[in-house]
Amino acid sequence: MSIREGLRYGSLRAKWRVVDALIAAKERVPVHFEDISDRFGYALIIPGILLVSFLAVGMVLLAWYSVLTYDTVEIIIYEYTLGNWEELVDTGAFYTVFFRTILYSAVVTVGCVALAIPYAYLVVRTDRTLFRYLLLFGLFVPFFTGVIIRAYGWLIILGKNGLLSWVLSALSLPSMSFIGTPVAVFVGLLQYLLPFAVLMLTPAIASIDPDLERAARNCGASQWQTFRHVVLPLARPGITAATIVAFTICMANYSIPDLLGGGTISFVANFIYNQVFGTLNYPFAAVLSLALVAVASSFVLIVFKIYGTGTLGVEVDEA
Amino acid sequence: MSLLRRFGGDHPYLTAFTLVELVFLILPSIIILVVSLGSGEIISFPPTELSLKWYASLLDQSEYVSPFINSVVVATFCTAISIPIGIVTALGLNRYDIRFEDGIQIYLLLPFTVPLVVSGFIFLIIFGRLGWIGQLWAVGLGLTIINIPFMIWSVASSVNAFDPTLEDAARSLGAEEIQTFFKVTLPSLMPGVISGALLMFMLALNEFIVSLIITVTSTETLPVAIYGAIRGNISPQVAAVSSIYVVVAIVAIIVADRLVGLERFLHT
Repeated sequence: MSIREGLRYGSLRAKWRVVDALIAAKERVPVHFEDISDRFGYALIIPGILLVSFLAVGMVLLAWYSVLTYDTVEIIIYEYTLGNWEELVDTGAFYTVFFRTILYSAVVTVGCVALAIPYAYLVVRTDRTLFRYLLLFGLFVPFFTGVIIRAYGWLIILGKNGLLSWVLSALSLPSMSFIGTPVAVFVGLLQYLLPFAVLMLTPAIASIDPDLERAARNCGASQWQTFRHVVLPLARPGITAATIVAFTICMANYSIPDLLGGGTISFVANFIYNQVFGTLNYPFAAVLSLALVAVASSFVLIVFKIYGTGTLGVEVDEA
Repeated sequence: MSLLRRFGGDHPYLTAFTLVELVFLILPSIIILVVSLGSGEIISFPPTELSLKWYASLLDQSEYVSPFINSVVVATFCTAISIPIGIVTALGLNRYDIRFEDGIQIYLLLPFTVPLVVSGFIFLIIFGRLGWIGQLWAVGLGLTIINIPFMIWSVASSVNAFDPTLEDAARSLGAEEIQTFFKVTLPSLMPGVISGALLMFMLALNEFIVSLIITVTSTETLPVAIYGAIRGNISPQVAAVSSIYVVVAIVAIIVADRLVGLERFLHT
């Protein structure tokens, strides 16, 4: 017997031993698994529930923190107050920052979904293997490269002495840095969110029967008319899902406004971060966090109410 | 035009438009690779001459070595604990009759509903109270919580595709329940587990904002270190560190394609 065969035989025997021991142990346990099968189901989901409970408990904690008193020395005094919520109503910066975040997120989401539809359509429909791989590559390279790395890439492209300045000066146009302008933040967010939107759209487009498109073409519809009247309506669940995912991720983004906005275009996340690490005002940060969750979830609920839940898995209402 | 038609098939204009999008999507990653090969002290275009000196300089720079190790440890931790949790949760939800199943599914989506900056703040409060800040495994736990829905979804799609009569067949051929699980059930869930594990690993390796909030100097992860470096200066050395991520992303795509096929990631 060669060494390799010996090793394989040995490991196989070890595996049998482990399985035998497990079975023996199971038979010694004085419960009948057949009888408790439904309760066993509950036992299986406990670890997942516990893991997520950190966030559920955390949301309750935030609600509690939001009515505690902030003190510049003690940080938190355990006396109840509505002062933090009043501060929210009184702070002018709150309106500016929330309005800016919602506005940018809305514009970026619309742009993102508009760009994602043709991309997702071709990923699903193209019959050229190489082209399809190229598209998948373009989709997953950014998806697997974190937001910081991509923001850094845009800094190099849009910054001083960057790629764009070089191209502009080669065309003998005045070169400039885009960092700190709304354009940079918009472009950065768009590129950040596009892969998410495409990934939400592809299942919806894949489920459209290609024969429907052929039927439309046979009946004399142009390529554009087919797209407009057949593909778009049938892709609506995917469009809904892509809109929700893009908007909610965008609303919560920290790094792109921070790095590409040059400190002048801050989002709610930057505002919260500064409260937590700048002034250590945990109660006010809790108020801002709850406000952010409230704004983002009411957007999601409104979209669900109007368009249904799309391809986002679980049914929330009767749909 | 004829070239475009030959390449784009039925949709020449759509193809041209999508190719522009493709460039837009990969440009920031590619530019980092290009810049990291420059030899100048500052980033400039076009790169004057090619050199690997910034990569060489990384090895004797400890400021990136320990964050790199931290990131790998955290990502491995996340992947390791999310695999069993993902498997049992997906099996429990799909195979057993559970009351309030819809409610539980919505509850399990909480990590996606809570904005990441808020999740980070929550971990800062809870982990702070428990005295876990400064522990590397706590960073791993936090990142597992925010990404666990990806794992559950991924395994659940495999559970849905699995034919339960195969288990009956195994049992009627004399296999014990545990043997059935390891020989029949688990192998057929593997595609979902592999794609979920890959996602968990890559997302944890790249995660930024939650790590920024809950790490201290000793537990700093690589994205946080890179962020600090970018704010300081943008020397091509940062590009050399960052390009590791681009290379890892490309390797991950190739691995994913070989193991389960990239198409799989489109349907989860």
